Amino acid sequence: MKLDIQGHSGCEIAIVHEDNDLHIHKSTYDPAYVPRLINQANKQIAASKIAYQNIRVPKVFEVVQNEKDATIKMEYIYSKNFVEYFENAGFEQIKYLIGAIKYFIDLEIDASEMKTVPSCILTDKMADVARKVQNNVHLKNDKVAVDLVIQSQDIMNKVGDMVMPVGRCHGDLTFSNILFNGNNYYLIDFLDSFIESPLLDIVKIRQDTAYMWSTLMYNKPFDKVRLSIISSKIDSAIDEYFKENYEWYRRYYMPLQLMNFLRILQYAHEDRVISYLKNVISSQLSFINNQKPS
Amino acid sequence: MMTLIVPIAADKAEYIEKLPQPFRFDDRGTMYCVKAITGLPLKEISDIYFVILRAHDNRFMLSEQLAMQFRKQNLTNAHVTILDEPTTSQAETVTRAIELNSIKGTVFIKDADCYFTADEIMPQNGVAIYALENLPIVDPQHKSYVSVDDMFYVTNIIEKRVVSHFFSAGGYCFEDARVFCDYYNKLKDYAPLYLSHIIYAMLLDKQIFRPIEIDDYEDWGVTSSTR
Repeated sequence: MKLDIQGHSGCEIAIVHEDNDLHIHKSTYDPAYVPRLINQANKQIAASKIAYQNIRVPKVFEVVQNEKDATIKMEYIYSKNFVEYFENAGFEQIKYLIGAIKYFIDLEIDASEMKTVPSCILTDKMADVARKVQNNVHLKNDKVAVDLVIQSQDIMNKVGDMVMPVGRCHGDLTFSNILFNGNNYYLIDFLDSFIESPLLDIVKIRQDTAYMWSTLMYNKPFDKVRLSIISSKIDSAIDEYFKENYEWYRRYYMPLQLMNFLRILQYAHEDRVISYLKNVISSQLSFINNQKPS
Repeated sequence: MMTLIVPIAADKAEYIEKLPQPFRFDDRGTMYCVKAITGLPLKEISDIYFVILRAHDNRFMLSEQLAMQFRKQNLTNAHVTILDEPTTSQAETVTRAIELNSIKGTVFIKDADCYFTADEIMPQNGVAIYALENLPIVDPQHKSYVSVDDMFYVTNIIEKRVVSHFFSAGGYCFEDARVFCDYYNKLKDYAPLYLSHIIYAMLLDKQIFRPIEIDDYEDWGVTSSTR
């Protein structure tokens, strides 16, 4: 039996009942996406071999790769999404989740090496964003959006070389890529990242805790006040912890978060999303411009 | 000793002509909002504040009627606080009452549309709870639910989602009025903001809440005789 469901990445996701068990088949039929999906599979296989206490990774049973398509066959996890989980979670469950996120990222930091990320990584990425915004029919005539990109280019040019841990990261550590099963948290949809740094995972998780991105994308009714209270609690706990412990976090979090939202903006096409992104980016630029030089 | 606050400052279009339910009388001539507090251990209460809207007072002569009720019930420490403008939440009403009356120390907030008895209320953070199975009629949509651990500590409080057989019975104790106001001010931009959200935010910050066990619960919101 096969049940198709909507995925986040453009891949086809099917729940398959086979061998008296449920499995997930994640497939792409876009030849250009095949190498990316194979990278994701490899990243997930590597992560599933590491013990992370409460953080788990669905087992990959098989990767089928052809010239024009690919499929990852993996474990099905009985779980809740983040909204359903947060709507029911007691304070102690939120405390465990905060601990698990910190623990997971600290393990990534331990497994990474401090390296210098050359300034051109950021400036090249920024140039790419500027090109894509110019090619986006929903943005190219939007003076505010174009101005935000110009201001951001100026910021990115000033960041310079960045010294940070590089080596291991999930690549898309948002709430929508975490499946909640009791006090176990299953990570899915690993992605290659333009800098393979745990800092990028902090950026992605704070995309949700500080800016409520995944919540904005959630269509069903839910208690927005409760979700906001929980997100804010998780966000301040994460921010305080990494701010206290890591210089590279204090220095580079904000420019990388700005870059993160610019990379979402470049593909945006819905008015409400564009409006939200412009608001976020504008607030980030104000924050960076008002920061005292360290 | 603690201060008791009964917030009745919600405004609805229907209140232009219709008396809000908490200001109606039961068949013994007691106003429901006054009856709502008569099951509490009033000896532990220093002052009682009924918080109402000026528009309702002007329209229905509420402060005079409440003064008569206080005499009838021998509530010598009861007062009426009148707000000029409607509030957006119960938490805002309570905060306004705390500020206007310079209330300090422990506050107990009692909903005006229900009744219960409690033998004792400790001056500590707490939520009055009642088991669903004790009710003949349940309207699950209009309640918040409270999870309690084995040692009787509150671990969760949720609006309108049945996660526990205990529901919040409409009585909330905050050990320190100032802390309550701080949390309200932190969360006041959220809407709709319920007291359960304030309690949950405090729980996340490791503030301890204990359940307050109550008896004889009556929900006038679901009893047809009070509609």
